[in-house]
Amino acid sequence: MLVHNRKAKWAVWAVFLLLFLPLFALPLLVVLGASFATHWSGVLPSGLTTANYRAATRGEALQALTTSLVTAVTASLFALAVGTWAALAAAALKKRHRRILDALFVLPVAVPSVVVGLSVLVAFSQPPILLNGTRWIVILAHTVLVTAFAYQSVSAALVRLDPAYEQAAASLGAPPAYVLWRVRLPLLLPSLTAAAGLCFALSMGELSATMMLYPPDWTPLPVLIYAATDRGALFIGSAVAVVLMAATLIALFAVSRVRTKASYR
Amino acid sequence: MGIRFDSVTVAYDGNVVLDSLDLTVEPGEVMALLGPSGSGKTTALRAVAGFVRPSSGRVFLGDRDVTDLPPHRRGIGMVVQQYALFPHMRVEDNVAFGLKARRTAKSEIRRRVAEALEMTGMGAYARRFPRELSGGQQQRVAIARALAIRPDVLLLDEPLSALDAQLRSGMLAELARLHRELPDVSILYVTHDQVEALTLADRIAVMDAARLQQCGTPRELYRAPKSEFTASFVGGANLLPVTVGAGGVSFAGTELKVDTTEVVAGARATLCVRPHLVGLGDGPNQLMGTVREIQWRGATHRLYVEVDGHSVMADLRELKHPPAHGDTVRLHFAPDDAVLLPAGVSHG
Amino acid sequence: MAEAVQNARAVRGWSRSSPRPFGALLWALPPIAALALFFLYPLALVVQQSFQPDTGGTSFQPYADVFASEAFRHALWTTVWLALASTAGCLVLGFLLALVIAFVPFPGAKAVARFIDVYLSFPSFLITLALLFIYGTTGIIGSFQFLTTPWGVLLAEVTYFTPFVMRPLLAAFSQLDTAQLEAASSLGARAPRIIRQVILPEALPALAAGGSLVLVLCLNEFGIVLFTGAKGVTTLPMLVYSKAILESDYPGACVVAVVNVLISVGLYGLYRVVSRRAGA
Repeated sequence: MLVHNRKAKWAVWAVFLLLFLPLFALPLLVVLGASFATHWSGVLPSGLTTANYRAATRGEALQALTTSLVTAVTASLFALAVGTWAALAAAALKKRHRRILDALFVLPVAVPSVVVGLSVLVAFSQPPILLNGTRWIVILAHTVLVTAFAYQSVSAALVRLDPAYEQAAASLGAPPAYVLWRVRLPLLLPSLTAAAGLCFALSMGELSATMMLYPPDWTPLPVLIYAATDRGALFIGSAVAVVLMAATLIALFAVSRVRTKASYR
Repeated sequence: MGIRFDSVTVAYDGNVVLDSLDLTVEPGEVMALLGPSGSGKTTALRAVAGFVRPSSGRVFLGDRDVTDLPPHRRGIGMVVQQYALFPHMRVEDNVAFGLKARRTAKSEIRRRVAEALEMTGMGAYARRFPRELSGGQQQRVAIARALAIRPDVLLLDEPLSALDAQLRSGMLAELARLHRELPDVSILYVTHDQVEALTLADRIAVMDAARLQQCGTPRELYRAPKSEFTASFVGGANLLPVTVGAGGVSFAGTELKVDTTEVVAGARATLCVRPHLVGLGDGPNQLMGTVREIQWRGATHRLYVEVDGHSVMADLRELKHPPAHGDTVRLHFAPDDAVLLPAGVSHG
Repeated sequence: MAEAVQNARAVRGWSRSSPRPFGALLWALPPIAALALFFLYPLALVVQQSFQPDTGGTSFQPYADVFASEAFRHALWTTVWLALASTAGCLVLGFLLALVIAFVPFPGAKAVARFIDVYLSFPSFLITLALLFIYGTTGIIGSFQFLTTPWGVLLAEVTYFTPFVMRPLLAAFSQLDTAQLEAASSLGARAPRIIRQVILPEALPALAAGGSLVLVLCLNEFGIVLFTGAKGVTTLPMLVYSKAILESDYPGACVVAVVNVLISVGLYGLYRVVSRRAGA
């Protein structure tokens, strides 16, 4: 509707593909291609094999996958609980107070993840709470990092939620807790699952804070990928990266299935 | 149970949206709040429901002062413009919602849900979701949901404005029937549509600019409006500037006989005559003018006649030989069909 | 008048779902307490530690040491210009690509928009990993030391963060009334003019929001830089990591962390104010 001339249209599309494909599609294809290869010195990878995947789905890699999944699920659930609670509480506040809560819960986005890692390391390597060397310090850092995103998505959904529903419920005699449980939360469910998916994906790919914190027996996938590339095992690293992407995608897909079932309008 | 507003004022950020409203709805009465948007009528309704808190004044339901009660303790039924049916619940669960929230016994819930759905003719749709219903059906479910809790007071906020014209007149008849079946329920009905108000209400409260302009039966408002606003908002009206004389008024040099007992001689006033009470040809209170426009409306002709620079409307039974554009015609009206209003108070 | 205003405030608090303002504050306390314990308190400890040199006591010595080092000043400069350049690149590229997807739609444009959503859920270091194959010493283009220069990091950051600009833009474009565009073009306006006068003003809030997010994410980016494995490009987050983990210089790491946080939070705050003014 912006460009009407046929020739001009094709020119625009050609430029789009020239920018889009190399920049965005190529990196993913390269990682995918490399994961099936043993050499890459020409235009195409060579020495096709599935051995990388055998290495990427057993032993230490398999354990890293479990570690990542457990971390991501736990952190997402915590973040969703805290973020939803905070967003609901903020929605009931006066504008001035709500602004403060917004700023507080957005802050972890602005603070570098490395610094979040450093601060958690500093704070929980000393009494009263000693978490250093345990898996909990990793899960804690992930929770802090993704809570901000959970808070933001639930807050945005609450703004869009038509107050007519809760008012209709109140006029029918339902006290606030009943309205929350039977009306507001069910109506928010699609946004809650979307927020959960986002938190999960972010946690699965988290590297910065994790690098500062991970104990030897709790190595998530990103750290393993870094370790592999650092010692030059690029092709195995790619295979592990593909496993990471696949796990993330499967989880997101499952969440979006729940979401379509939960959306009523 | 009745509703009473005791000089209720509502203000947002210093903006007065409802200015000391005094109004009583008797038990079992249908009261329409009629006015243009921004007139404060919805605010008044929401003050009864408990969603806005008066800055001053009290709201009573029966003898109970509910001003400080949260909405869920007020025991009112409410239906709003967009129905607000819970999209994640079936029709029956929507209707049962208020009863479940009150922990009513299961068997009683079933009985009352069936009863409310039957009353609104929605019995066959109990298992449907709201999105599977038409607008008119959703409307009925919303009413059933409000009735299921057996409220003494029903608040209706523009309940028909989301429906098309044909459905609307059907639903009007339905609402009238429901009220006959539930004669003890007081209804506060907010609308900007005078037809809905005239059809349904026992009394109409006309609102404008955050204030109550006039309250009375539809007939009173129509026959004896007290202000230009009421006269023009409830039914159409010719509003002519006149000077009051002894036993009549003068308009554009013509003496007209009307009842002047309530006005001082020599004062300026506005003469209100309904278009359908204006006749064509000779008669009492004659006005001479030039036809500026003729509209044929099937059963009637509407004439716009210019009389000394003022346009006078006349609705006449379909004319066999209507006058032509530019013809000079005589109009007349009976002295007791005209009302004298104070000059230009609201629309001066 | 003052009373009326006060009353209006009372109405505001009431008209929302929770009737008692005090109760609402009480409900906000538990999440705030959790945030304070697990985020604000650790952050405060970092600030505290940045004033405590290893030799003991409380002083500005760690700051003096860090500010005096060439490595820090270099990292600061690299971080800031890389972030600014990446943001500019993302804004231009993201705006152009989103324009095409929204207004010169082609078969598959929807799929591309989907792909962008998915792309956002992948970690950033994947891009560097791919670039290692393309530009790395054994890669497609051959032994080209491109990746160890800041330009390699810039390319990776623009690649990874552009979708963060495109998504809010696509959302804004989908709200734009196409009738407005058709009216404009029926009046004889040509594409560049329509973009400048109709689309760009509508897109400004989205551009501001996306731009602010990308700027902060670039300032804080760690994975992309770490994966290049280059010693030549050091940014502030890298410096925090290497000082804390590789050198065990905690006071030094905390100083760099404080500087990094001040820049990021300051810029983010500024951008939020600006984008709110711009009508976001």
